[in-house]
Amino acid sequence: MNWIIETENLGKRYGKVRAVENLSLRVAEGEIYAFLGLNGAGKTTTIRMLLGMIKPTSGSATVLNTRVQPGNREPWAQVGYLVETPHAYPELTVRENLEVARRLHPNTDKKAVNETIERLGLTAYAERISGTLSLGNVQRLGLAKALLHKPKLLLLDEPANGLDPAGIVEIRELLRQLTREEGVTVFMSSHILAEVARLAKRIGIIHEGRLIQEMDMEELERNRISRLLVRTREAKSAAATLAASGYLVEMGKDNELELKDPAALEQPEEVATLLVEAKNPPTQLLVEQEDLEQYFLRLVGMNGDSK
Amino acid sequence: MNALADMIWCELRKVLRARVPLFTFLGFLVMPLIGALLIFIFKDPELARKLGLLGAKANLVVGSADWPGYLTLMVEFTSLGGFFFFCLAISWTFGREFADSTVKDLLAVPVPRSSILLAKFIISALWCAALILETTAVGLLLGAVIRLPGATAAVLLHGTKLLLVAGTMSILLVLPFGFFASLGRGYLLPVGIAVLTAILGNLAVTLGWGDYFPWAVPGLYVQGAAVAPFSYGLILLTALAGMAATYFWWKYADQNR
Repeated sequence: MNWIIETENLGKRYGKVRAVENLSLRVAEGEIYAFLGLNGAGKTTTIRMLLGMIKPTSGSATVLNTRVQPGNREPWAQVGYLVETPHAYPELTVRENLEVARRLHPNTDKKAVNETIERLGLTAYAERISGTLSLGNVQRLGLAKALLHKPKLLLLDEPANGLDPAGIVEIRELLRQLTREEGVTVFMSSHILAEVARLAKRIGIIHEGRLIQEMDMEELERNRISRLLVRTREAKSAAATLAASGYLVEMGKDNELELKDPAALEQPEEVATLLVEAKNPPTQLLVEQEDLEQYFLRLVGMNGDSK
Repeated sequence: MNALADMIWCELRKVLRARVPLFTFLGFLVMPLIGALLIFIFKDPELARKLGLLGAKANLVVGSADWPGYLTLMVEFTSLGGFFFFCLAISWTFGREFADSTVKDLLAVPVPRSSILLAKFIISALWCAALILETTAVGLLLGAVIRLPGATAAVLLHGTKLLLVAGTMSILLVLPFGFFASLGRGYLLPVGIAVLTAILGNLAVTLGWGDYFPWAVPGLYVQGAAVAPFSYGLILLTALAGMAATYFWWKYADQNR
C-alpha cells in the first residue's frame, strides 16, 4: 500500500497543554479520508503539522514519502491545502489572487488560472476585488488556490464552510471526480458529518488530541447502533407485554420504548403482532440507525440528541 | 532567480493595488511642504503676517531663509519623519500577511521562503527609495517656486547628497522591522519599537554614545557631526542581522495563523 500521509506518534505540546498526542494515522493513495473532531480537538494543529507550519514536539509526519521538516519543500509542489477559514488579498481581484498562487507554484501552466476559475464557478467574479466576495465565494477562491496546480494530495480543513447547499453538493462532486478520475488523495476535516458520511472512504476521530478511532466506512456501518422505537397508547403495559416475550425494553423520552435486540430489529413485525394481540397496537414503529453524527457524539462521550 | 522574479511581481502587485502606499506618498509630501512654508514665512514675515500665516507670538527657529537653510531643514525633517514612514512601509509589507491571515498561503509552497522574504525586502526598500526621490524632487521644486537665494550647484548637490545618504541609511535601518512585524504578527510591535528606537536614539546622542546606536547615526550624519566609519558598518550589520532574523523566524517559528 502506498501511504500518501503517514504519521508516527505525532504530538504537539504548548507548555503543559497537549494539543495533539501520539497520533499515528495512514492515508492511502486515492482515498478520501475524513478527520473528525470537536472544536479544539487538534484537527487544525495536525493539518498544520502535516504542512510543516508547526513543528511537532514528538513523533514525525511523512507526506508523499517525504519527511516533513523545516526547509524541506519537496512535497509542496504536489500538495494543495486549505487551512481554517480561507483568506485572500482583499485588494486583489479573484484572478490576481490566483495569479499570485500560480507564481507560488512554479511550472504551473498560465492557463490553469482560467481553468480553475471555470471549474470552481468563479467566472462571474473573476475581476471582482476579493475583499467584496461573499463567504461562500471566498471559500471557492480558497479551494481554487488549493486546486490550481493540480496537486496529488489535498489537505482541506472544513472545505464546505460557508457554502450553500448547492455549493456543498458541487464541491462534493468535484472532490469525488478528483479522486475517481485523477487519483487525487483527499484528507479533510469537517463538522458537517452527513457530508463526510456521503464522501469519505475512511474516517479518523480525534478527541482531546488523541486519535480515538480510525475505520473504513464499512466498519462504521457495523459499529453503528440500531434500535427499534415503539410508541403505543399504554407504554407501561406495552413494555410489560414485550418483556414477557423476552425482549429487552428500555423506556425512553416521552414514553417511547426502545428495543435493541437483533430479533426486534430484524423482525419488527413480530413486535407489532404481539402488541396488537395484547390490544395495545403500536402508533409508531420505527427502526432507526445511528447516523455518523450520533455515533461520533457517542464516541466522544456527548450524547447529543441520541435519546 | 525565476522564483525571486515571480515573488517580486507578487509583492509589487500587492503594493500597487493597496491604499497604504498612496497614503505614504501623500504623507511624505507634507515634509517638503512644511519646510517650504516655514522658510517662506521666515523669508518675509511681514507678508506672512498679512496673509494670516504667522501669529503675533510666532517664534521661528528656521536657520536662514536661503537654499542651505532650507535644505538643512528638509534633511532634518526627512531624517526623522522618513524613518517612521519607512517603518510603516516595511511593517505593512510583512505585517499584512498576518493581519489578513494570508501568511498560511506562503508557507507550504515549492518557492523557497528566502525568495518570498527577499522579494518583500526588495519591494519595501524600493518603496522607501521612491519616497526619498519624491521628497527630494518636490523639495527642490518648492525651493525654486519660493525663489530662495543661494542656489549654487554645490549647495544643491550637497543638500541632495545629504537627503539621499541619510535616506539610504534609514532604509537599511528599517529592514529589521520586517522581523518585528513577523514576530508581532502585525503592525503594532514594529510601530512600538520604532517609537522606542527614536527615544533611545535621542538618549544615545545626548549621552555621547550616538556612534554606537545605529538608529542614531543618520541624525548625527545630517547634523554634520563626524561619524565614525564603524558606525556605517554597524548600520550594514543591523540590516543584515534583521534580514537573517526574519528568515530564521519564518523558517523555524510555529505558524498558527
